Amino acid sequence: MFGDRHLIVVDLGFGDAGKGATVDWLCAPSSGLDVSAVVRFNGGAQAAHNVIAGGRHHTFRQFGSGTFSRVPTFLSRYMLVEPIALAAEALALEQLGITDPLSLLSVDERALLTTPIHGAANRCREDARGAARHGSCGIGIGETASYALAHDAPRVADCLRPNILRRKLIALEEYYRPLLEGSGHRYDSIDDLVEVYTEFARAVAILPGDQLAAFATTGRLVFEGAQGALLDEWRGLHPYTTWSTVEPRNARAMLARIDAPGYVLGVTRSYFTRHGAGPFPTEDADLSIVERHNGTGEYQGDFRRGHLDPILLRYAIRACGGIDGLAVNHLDALGEIRTATGYLTADGCLDRLDLGEWQDLDHQRRLTELLEAATPVLADLPTDVIGYLEAELGVPVVLTAHGPDRFDRAPGAARTTSNNRPAPGTLRMPG
Amino acid sequence: MGYGNWDDRAYDAARTFRAARGLDDFGYTADMRAQPMNSWKAHPALDPKGVKLRESRDSDDHGNSLPIAVLFDVTGSMGRVPRIMQEKLGKLHGLLQRKGYADDPQIMFGGIGDADSDQVPLQVGQFESDNRMDEQLRLIFLEGNGGGQKSESYELAAYFMARHTATDAWDKRGQQGYLFIVGDELNKPRLASRHIRNIIGDKVNRDISVESVYRELADRWHVHYILPNQSSYYNDPEISEYWRGLLGERFLRLDDPAAVCELIALTIGIGEDRIDLGAGLADLRDIGSTSEADAVGKALAPIGATRRNNSVGALPAPTRDDDVDFGN
Repeated sequence: MFGDRHLIVVDLGFGDAGKGATVDWLCAPSSGLDVSAVVRFNGGAQAAHNVIAGGRHHTFRQFGSGTFSRVPTFLSRYMLVEPIALAAEALALEQLGITDPLSLLSVDERALLTTPIHGAANRCREDARGAARHGSCGIGIGETASYALAHDAPRVADCLRPNILRRKLIALEEYYRPLLEGSGHRYDSIDDLVEVYTEFARAVAILPGDQLAAFATTGRLVFEGAQGALLDEWRGLHPYTTWSTVEPRNARAMLARIDAPGYVLGVTRSYFTRHGAGPFPTEDADLSIVERHNGTGEYQGDFRRGHLDPILLRYAIRACGGIDGLAVNHLDALGEIRTATGYLTADGCLDRLDLGEWQDLDHQRRLTELLEAATPVLADLPTDVIGYLEAELGVPVVLTAHGPDRFDRAPGAARTTSNNRPAPGTLRMPG
Repeated sequence: MGYGNWDDRAYDAARTFRAARGLDDFGYTADMRAQPMNSWKAHPALDPKGVKLRESRDSDDHGNSLPIAVLFDVTGSMGRVPRIMQEKLGKLHGLLQRKGYADDPQIMFGGIGDADSDQVPLQVGQFESDNRMDEQLRLIFLEGNGGGQKSESYELAAYFMARHTATDAWDKRGQQGYLFIVGDELNKPRLASRHIRNIIGDKVNRDISVESVYRELADRWHVHYILPNQSSYYNDPEISEYWRGLLGERFLRLDDPAAVCELIALTIGIGEDRIDLGAGLADLRDIGSTSEADAVGKALAPIGATRRNNSVGALPAPTRDDDVDFGN
């Protein structure tokens, strides 16, 4: 299906489309894809990739979603590493019967460290925003990225050099002191942090430079993206974005450096979801689809649901520089779902969104404003949802899922049918 | 000593990483056991010999320090209790600090053995308020052994606590600290001066009566003896009568040894008048210590009842020796 190409798995929406479950399936021995490592190429511990396989459930955050199949994880230089959360995740995996999960992990020494100080700062800023919260997770991902732009930030390599690490942590604490003072957001002392990061460095393989080629010689790489392309720092709906390059350019660049071919697998649900603030044109509060693993976050607010949106999907695909194939999840939840055929805006009816210059945040802000004011034109989904998506998006559907479990997934465009759906094209305005 | 902040997230993480490296949480014990018995000794950080004072002091960060000392019997099967403590240290500190039982707890750990027969009969750490507590626990040598004569050198530990500690809580605020001795046997009949000389180094030439040591200790410390259900002595009436005679209702029988952290936390919360027993047990259930709450409720029932009726001081009950005064 994918030849000998490495796979880059990217969410085409706002996240939660099922990247984790997709990666788990790709890594399972029964899929025969011979995966040698899962590579994280963006984001950090805020990722939440739910995988259910054979009665086991885990929300993967930093460990790659191939861990149930004992596929090693490589945290690349583009990853924001949070060791304390990593330890908690290792413990949880051990309780699920994964022996010595930390031995499956290696980290590029250039990756940034997310510390409890960043987390406390993140929560402080969100508190100050009040009702205008961005919907961040409170872990400090954005603070990690923004602090590193202007400072000599703590990196994974520093965990091997306690003196340098201590100096950098003290500088970090000093920088945030005015913000954190009196905020009530506690964090661990510098001594404790040095202790835990030193232990982290002893327990986990920290690799110098780019070691990707070594992983690639023993099998196929699966690049597991975090979040969704519509949250990309440069292509997403600014300012409701993440401080991370979500679209696959960094993953592609890593493969280019080792001169290896890649295949970009876009992932979507059969409907749209969003966790956190920001525009969501097809949102429909009346949808009753049950979410077992997506609750209400203190800083993220409610989990939001909406109808399928091929217009946003087409935009996301172009933001990704094109994709090679599509995985469609949640095909068992189609009951109430309709699809957007256009947006009614002040400028008339639109069915495409312009891709601006890369890093042009003014353009992204205009897109956000446009979508905030857009009313979607909804139509009933055609019976052949897969064929409809292939035609709308111009890419083949190569994986489908009819449920949350690994065994609910199948390769190829196993057609979903629901016999008593109305014909496509019946326009109806949202109630 | 006694500075820094303590948070169980970092603590748990460091522990997980150590475990992944295959390190025992009591690494010093493992190192010692690999050597011949006659070379066994306390880790220098915990050796009482020549120690002038272990101090619990206020700092800028911690202006209201409350000293807490936990001394374990490390003989025989009692060695399990420090391990439980080590696993649950995060919970203890979480309860003390986040539930507001104590503002700035500073905890010291130590080990008690048998001065007549053990290589390492006494170990005492420092008062710490951050992850160094965990470090001290890991350095405690769990010697095992013990004399088999139904007594351990608790009185020697009591002497050290009475003569070799200084606290700002007492010096500045006249506030007593909390001492918990966790064991299952009796004191030696008398505190032998040779044990003081050999193990602590004080030039004392006359034996001292056990009662007078505990009397002196009670001036500055709320002294508790915890008897966990760990050995056949748990049901031995001689042990219970002896300690109840010496400490009154501060002798605590604990059905479930796994609840020792929770018991210590609630004893302090009640002693500091921050909670009553009912609220404390509710806190325990909140943090998921459900079965522990049952054991703690039973252990503290006498204290809890007193406190409900009389929330200020007035503990403990009179003891059989009229010259032993625990007045608050």
